[in-house]
Amino acid sequence: MKKSKFLSVLALVLCVLMVATACGSQAPSSNNSASPAPTSGGSNTSDPKSEKVTIKFEQFSGSGDTEAYLKQMIEEYNKQYPNVTVELQTIGYNDYFNQLMAKVAAGQAPDVYELNYENFVSYAKKGVLLPLDDIIQKSGYDTGKYNAMALGAFSTDGKQYGLPNSFSNVLLFYNKDLFDRANVAYPTDNWTWNDALEAAKKIRALDENIFGYYRPVQFFEFFKVIRQNGGVLFNADMTQFTVNTPENREAVQYMVDMINKYNVMPSEEQLAGMGDWDLFKAGRLGMVVTGVWAIPDFTKNCEFEWDIAIEPGNKAKATHFFSNGYVISKDTKVANAAFEFAAFLTSAKEAVQIRLDAGWELPPVTDQNVLNQYKALTPPSNRQAVFDSLDYLVTPPVIEQFQEFQDIVGYHLNTVVTKNATVEEALAACQKELEEKIKLK
Amino acid sequence: MMINRKHRQIWGAILFYVLGSLVAIIIMIPFLWMIVTSLKSKGALLSIPVEWIPKKPSLDAYKKIFALQDFSSSILNSFYLAVTTSLVQILSASMAAYAFSKIQFKGRESLFKVYLATMMIPFQVVFIPLFIVMSSLKLTNNLNAFLLLQLFNPFAIFMLRQKMMTISDSFIEAAIIDGANQFQIFRKIILPLSSGILATLGVMAFMGSWNDYLFPLVMLSDKKKFTLPLILSALQGQYSSDYNLLMAGSLISILPILIVYMFAQKYFRSGLQIGGVKG
Amino acid sequence: MYKKYKSAGFLQAVPFILPSLIGLICFSLVPILTSLVISMSSWDGLTKLTLFSDMKGFLASFFVGYDNFAEIVRSKEFWKVLGNTLYFIVLYLPLIVISSILVGNILNKKYRGIGFFRVLYYIPVLTSWVAGALIWKWALSPQYGIVNEILALVGIEGPKWLQSEVWAMPSIVLASIWKDVGYFGLIFLGGLQSINPSYYEAAEIDGANGWQRFKHITMPLLSPVTFFVIIICIINSFQLFPQIMVMTKDAGPNGATQVLVERIYKYAFKYHKMGYAAALSWVLFAIIFIFTTIQLKLQKRWVYYDD
Repeated sequence: MKKSKFLSVLALVLCVLMVATACGSQAPSSNNSASPAPTSGGSNTSDPKSEKVTIKFEQFSGSGDTEAYLKQMIEEYNKQYPNVTVELQTIGYNDYFNQLMAKVAAGQAPDVYELNYENFVSYAKKGVLLPLDDIIQKSGYDTGKYNAMALGAFSTDGKQYGLPNSFSNVLLFYNKDLFDRANVAYPTDNWTWNDALEAAKKIRALDENIFGYYRPVQFFEFFKVIRQNGGVLFNADMTQFTVNTPENREAVQYMVDMINKYNVMPSEEQLAGMGDWDLFKAGRLGMVVTGVWAIPDFTKNCEFEWDIAIEPGNKAKATHFFSNGYVISKDTKVANAAFEFAAFLTSAKEAVQIRLDAGWELPPVTDQNVLNQYKALTPPSNRQAVFDSLDYLVTPPVIEQFQEFQDIVGYHLNTVVTKNATVEEALAACQKELEEKIKLK
Repeated sequence: MMINRKHRQIWGAILFYVLGSLVAIIIMIPFLWMIVTSLKSKGALLSIPVEWIPKKPSLDAYKKIFALQDFSSSILNSFYLAVTTSLVQILSASMAAYAFSKIQFKGRESLFKVYLATMMIPFQVVFIPLFIVMSSLKLTNNLNAFLLLQLFNPFAIFMLRQKMMTISDSFIEAAIIDGANQFQIFRKIILPLSSGILATLGVMAFMGSWNDYLFPLVMLSDKKKFTLPLILSALQGQYSSDYNLLMAGSLISILPILIVYMFAQKYFRSGLQIGGVKG
Repeated sequence: MYKKYKSAGFLQAVPFILPSLIGLICFSLVPILTSLVISMSSWDGLTKLTLFSDMKGFLASFFVGYDNFAEIVRSKEFWKVLGNTLYFIVLYLPLIVISSILVGNILNKKYRGIGFFRVLYYIPVLTSWVAGALIWKWALSPQYGIVNEILALVGIEGPKWLQSEVWAMPSIVLASIWKDVGYFGLIFLGGLQSINPSYYEAAEIDGANGWQRFKHITMPLLSPVTFFVIIICIINSFQLFPQIMVMTKDAGPNGATQVLVERIYKYAFKYHKMGYAAALSWVLFAIIFIFTTIQLKLQKRWVYYDD
């Protein structure tokens, strides 16, 4: 008897729940905090600072420990715009784009979200982003304060779709203590591949658990390293892949020899699931090729002297250009507020200052005063190298099927690292698969 | 003969304890390692040789993980989903099972065959269109959407129908003579008599929901709505080599379900009698 | 009188069937049909899906017929992925059956402390795959993990596990057995307990020893359960996913742990090829269907029903 009473209560609870969900499905907008007061719309007449607005904001670059800086920026923003509630969501880079796609496909894109330069084109071409030109014109916003290259990265077909929030390049980070112990001169900005390799060998000789060099063998490094050797991925008008060329083969050979022939660089097995930064911070890695976004972490967590230099080249110098920007969803109901928010985070002096103080990534602005401040921060003492590197920037090859392109190249490079194919075989196979699967113009 | 038998019993006991403990140790090693790791500071993770017991145990990982806003809310989300989805599943399934076992109507057998046939379609086939259906109903990123999915669970319906068929019709006849209607029969006779299997299915549904990964991964995009597996996976994306943090998170995700299982254990005591169902 | 009541028909049944029927139509039949249409399209997932509102327009711009299926069968990747899955099954299936029979037998004893073992063995089943995979990923770290440390104690130099092309899949197998053995052990326990003890008593009188009793009584009478376990295990094997996603970055060295569901997820949500992904999911269905049918045909040869 008792049991049946329990069960009938249970049944009652269930019915209530089912009715509740049914209601939920009829009035979905009540679950959607993206839509604020009904008046907000695209109306330009109402005072933007008085009405209550909620902005959904999603991003990946302020991740792990750097998320705190982003939160500081939002706090500063809220001091000026107390009427706006920002719903921040951070997702790690690896999952970010898969998650974002599901949302965009479901018509639930966040109001403001971050895209990197590489993925930007796919989104712009699908027509899911809001062109900003109108808003910029009406509000008289001065885009001249942005670094032209970073700003240009987020425009396509003559329309501006995003505001750059950061701007970064890749450098050679090195552990001075290990160089001293191995009795090798510090890297200079004129170093070549060979100098790097020789130094790496001497550092590697110090100890079984100490490595000389690290540079991931993957797509992003590949397209840059081939440029250091005078190679390219496409023909001039981007209608054909040119993956399997002598220059490219030589570049890949150089990258892979560091692991398999000289073992100055740890293999995946030797890394054993740890990251290259961990190895560097543990004082067990002489040099690592990585981005300026590593500076805050290294500053905080390295108990030894370290510095940076321009990446070594071979026939030419080449270094990465990366830029992340904030874009606005085409379906947003709070376009103006979203734009003001994106503008604040990317260029307001409070936000720029936070970015600077954290030594995070380069603020994408041209203000000389700001840039001088950035240079003055130590470590690294040779921060000038960050700017000198800008002379050798190469941009990632952006095409619509970027993610797939990246994975195919990465897969074939890996077959060389794992000794399943020679460089020649791998690049030939890569070329073939790209031709089959990727549509160029 | 008697002595021989006694000997054998002693040896049997020894064998039992030796084998049983061996299996237990093998199963527990990864968990112990998880606990040990969660008590290490980040620097200690990388020490060579490996520290079996942390030299300087610290609770930093736990402090850090509870400081992450979305972690605590994910525990609540997981609980909410696990409780509600299992309730919806067993109620809806037992109602259907009742109709299929005790109410005679035209087309009953063919409809039941359709129900069973859908069991053959793996979830992966429907998860993309299901995502689309959910988004056209504006139900993505909504925890309650998972309740709707539980309305139809052919496995539970099948198991319950098997059970209900064994309930004698004479109970029902007696109830009808007393003037009971279908709902009263269902509630007062059928449900109590099926309570064992209901509980087992309920606990299984609870665990299934607690550990579900693929569909929530696609459906839920707002971190505040993430379930535990999702938040753990997201943590891995953000703190990929902070294994002390990841292990602390894993440990916390196991504890609640372990407690639920301890209470529900009696329903599993006699083993899962699923094998009796012929293929 | 009861007969009359029973044949009262559909109206009586409707309220009871309605919830599940709605579920069946909305969340099973409609998605199945949709999936079929999408599998024959080149829809990218970002462009708005107009399948329901403007079917003609949708088909006009995206319909590709059987192209996706032809592409799957032609691609080297698919066969490699299938090979990876079969490799998993070959390793996993015998190990899981043997170890869960062992666990079932341990749990079937009536000694003190059995409840303790029962809870312990079941903990991995309760653990979510994401947590379980994280635990194993760390335990299997070649340099910093516990597994190779233990192997080193007995003088074995452990392999590089997830970082090695050869050992990546066995690592997944190891974690999967750990995760599943408690569950299938409990199912075998259920089978063992339903065996009539009089068989054993009779055998003992005939002087059969432990092994003989196991071979001639337990195994045949357990065969329906074994059959069930094998079918479930094979189906599960084709649906491997969370452990792959969490344990191996980009599906292992050289794609050693690429499997079907991982590919479906990547094609759908990373490469923006929903059509191709949907087609792959139907291929997955076909494979499971074929394997299960073969199993059902073969069962007559070895499964023994005691009735």
